[in-house]
Amino acid sequence: MPDATFLDSTELVLNMGPQHPSTHGVLRVILKLDGEKVLGTDCVIGYLHRGVEKIAENRTFAQFNPYVDRMDYVAAVSNGLGYCLAVEKLLNVEAPPRAQAVRVILTELNRIASHLVWLGTHALDIGAITPVFYCFREREEALKIFEKYCGARLTTHAFRIGGLLYETYDGFEQDVRDFCAMFGPKVDEYEELLTNNRIWVSRLKGVGILSAEECKEYGVTGPVLRAAGVKWDLRKAQPYSGYEKYDFEIPTAQNGDTYDRYIVRMQEMRQAVRIIEQAVAAIPEGPIMGKVGKVIKPAVGEAYVSIEAPKGELGYYVVSDGSTQPYRCRVRPPSFVNLQALDRMVRGGLVADVVAIIGTIDIVLGEVDR
Amino acid sequence: MGKLLRKIFLVDLFQGLLVTFRYQQPKYIYTERYPEQRPKVAERYRGAPRLNINPDNGETLCISCNLCALACPEALIVVTSERNETTKRKELTTFTYDTSRCMFCGLCEDACPVDALELTQDFEMATYTREGQIWDRQMLEEGPKPTQYKC
Amino acid sequence: MADEQKPEGSEAPPPPAGEGAAPPVKPAAPAAKPAPPKPAAAAPPKAAAAHAAPPKPPATMAAIPWVSDLSREIKERFGDRIVETSTYLGQNFIVVKPDAAIPVMEYLKLEADFDYLVDVTAVDWPKRAERFDVVYILYSFARNERVRIKTYVPDGFKPETAVGVHLTANWLEREVFDMFGIEFDGHPDMRRILLPEEWQGYPLRKDYGILQQDDRWVQENLNIESGQ
Repeated sequence: MPDATFLDSTELVLNMGPQHPSTHGVLRVILKLDGEKVLGTDCVIGYLHRGVEKIAENRTFAQFNPYVDRMDYVAAVSNGLGYCLAVEKLLNVEAPPRAQAVRVILTELNRIASHLVWLGTHALDIGAITPVFYCFREREEALKIFEKYCGARLTTHAFRIGGLLYETYDGFEQDVRDFCAMFGPKVDEYEELLTNNRIWVSRLKGVGILSAEECKEYGVTGPVLRAAGVKWDLRKAQPYSGYEKYDFEIPTAQNGDTYDRYIVRMQEMRQAVRIIEQAVAAIPEGPIMGKVGKVIKPAVGEAYVSIEAPKGELGYYVVSDGSTQPYRCRVRPPSFVNLQALDRMVRGGLVADVVAIIGTIDIVLGEVDR
Repeated sequence: MGKLLRKIFLVDLFQGLLVTFRYQQPKYIYTERYPEQRPKVAERYRGAPRLNINPDNGETLCISCNLCALACPEALIVVTSERNETTKRKELTTFTYDTSRCMFCGLCEDACPVDALELTQDFEMATYTREGQIWDRQMLEEGPKPTQYKC
Repeated sequence: MADEQKPEGSEAPPPPAGEGAAPPVKPAAPAAKPAPPKPAAAAPPKAAAAHAAPPKPPATMAAIPWVSDLSREIKERFGDRIVETSTYLGQNFIVVKPDAAIPVMEYLKLEADFDYLVDVTAVDWPKRAERFDVVYILYSFARNERVRIKTYVPDGFKPETAVGVHLTANWLEREVFDMFGIEFDGHPDMRRILLPEEWQGYPLRKDYGILQQDDRWVQENLNIESGQ
């Protein structure tokens, strides 16, 4: 961005600093403004960079598993699933069907939890204070299930390479069914609060439009891409962990603006409930751990496996040199790539729209910075 | 016409307010009064570590195999032992666990072959000093003792 | 510093994977989770045997050649600038000469519908002459296929930027520069993205220790002795 001089009265460079209640983490956005209108932005990230990829090179495959949850800390189970799938691909094993079903249930619960955080914080940024309480209350129920299953609410470390460690606890199916029954009407409640609300609509409609072509150019995936009209979901395109057995729809929308992304994510929550109901009705019996030796030592090689995380395409590119430690574990973070498109989305908008757009891309700085 | 009336009389906003007013009933209060009401944590909760003691003879269950130290991603467990000449077994002397760096992942608990090291449901582990976060064997066996609040 | 002496130190001596026979029996024991005393007993006879046997060549990836319409078209079009087209575990990849990476990507985007650049990353192999592996992962919506393009570049080489072909590469290449020091020629904004601007050193290179930090930056900017 060109330097603005003091005498240049039409352009103002404003810093939306790393400490900001609406930037969803430590994100610094340098805005170039003409009054209230945004001419350009520059994102400065890296405040939460912890060097996870470097740590991976110094831990064994199983020891790195807990670190993976800490990247996208809102949806930790998805991260664990992606990593376990990548290492299982390198080892050429597959988790047994029972493990796959339980993995699907937990991952979809995790998707709901992540979207609830998105909804609560996005609404809070826009100014609607009520939804955040309701969303976090429902999220509590999902986190209680995680806690009962693996012992932690947020940084779950739920999956192991090759399958699961913990057998499902007594009452797992009943808890999950209760959650599904409770959750459907709650989504209706959120919609009652927001969808037709004139303030919500006027704040969100027409804001931050990213067309399908632009999405593909910028490599944006996830609900942002689906709201632009591209009906693409990795769970349907390249199914993993047994997703081909479940019947669900991919919600899309036409315009690619913020309101459409809201609609798409609400529908995704409903579809996630649908998947969970199908999965919990038919958890197969059997072992929960695949044929993985005690020491995980894949053959020399590399693999790239990606999953549909709540935020987009989360990919793991794991290179192994035959030892017990990954030689290189690259994480392809959806939030990092989606955040690039922020510049395109805010052109011509107002400062308040910047806040709405950062919320709608659904970034988690832990994932952006790793 | 209907649309215009809905617009003038703020129907959509009142619909939202109805949802909020429905939740004013006292039975929907979700707040937990901590510290009087302690939260009930799950059985598998990964909280404070504890070294278990054999209930029959009061000795520690740990056999000093060092598997927990090897499993830990942060390498924060240090186990020292000495060899007992009569029974030809290793006996635990010191066991140091640094809870300030621990991420409560549970790998040590999973690795222990005799279930001596366990992550319990205690989560109140605050101390006033950094050194207080490094637990020695006695602290591990007894567990943290948080101050009990009485109202 | 205690971390470095701890079992994770098995990464410290990187023997060529060929000496795989005897040493991993010993280091595998402390490096991996289970350490039954049995390998200790098995180690001495194996060590003796390994001294007698000739050292094995370093293990390489068991990739098989990739034969399909796409690989044939690419080979025809680019001839000897393609070093190999293989597949491993069902994932196809093409190894190209460094200056051919961008033309191949352009061709794939325009002719073969690979319109989505998934990732740009690099891998450091310090023992090799061409030290870095720059990897581009592409995906095609229409074909529902993924392909990897790998190039081997030596230290100091500046590959051409992919921003002209895919806009996604902007931040992804900045991150590769930040972590590895590989500059991309023609990139509109080649500066560090995750680390502070004045940081010295490139962390993901293998000669950058895990506890090493740019102490000078930390001292100047945070007024503390060191981050450890």
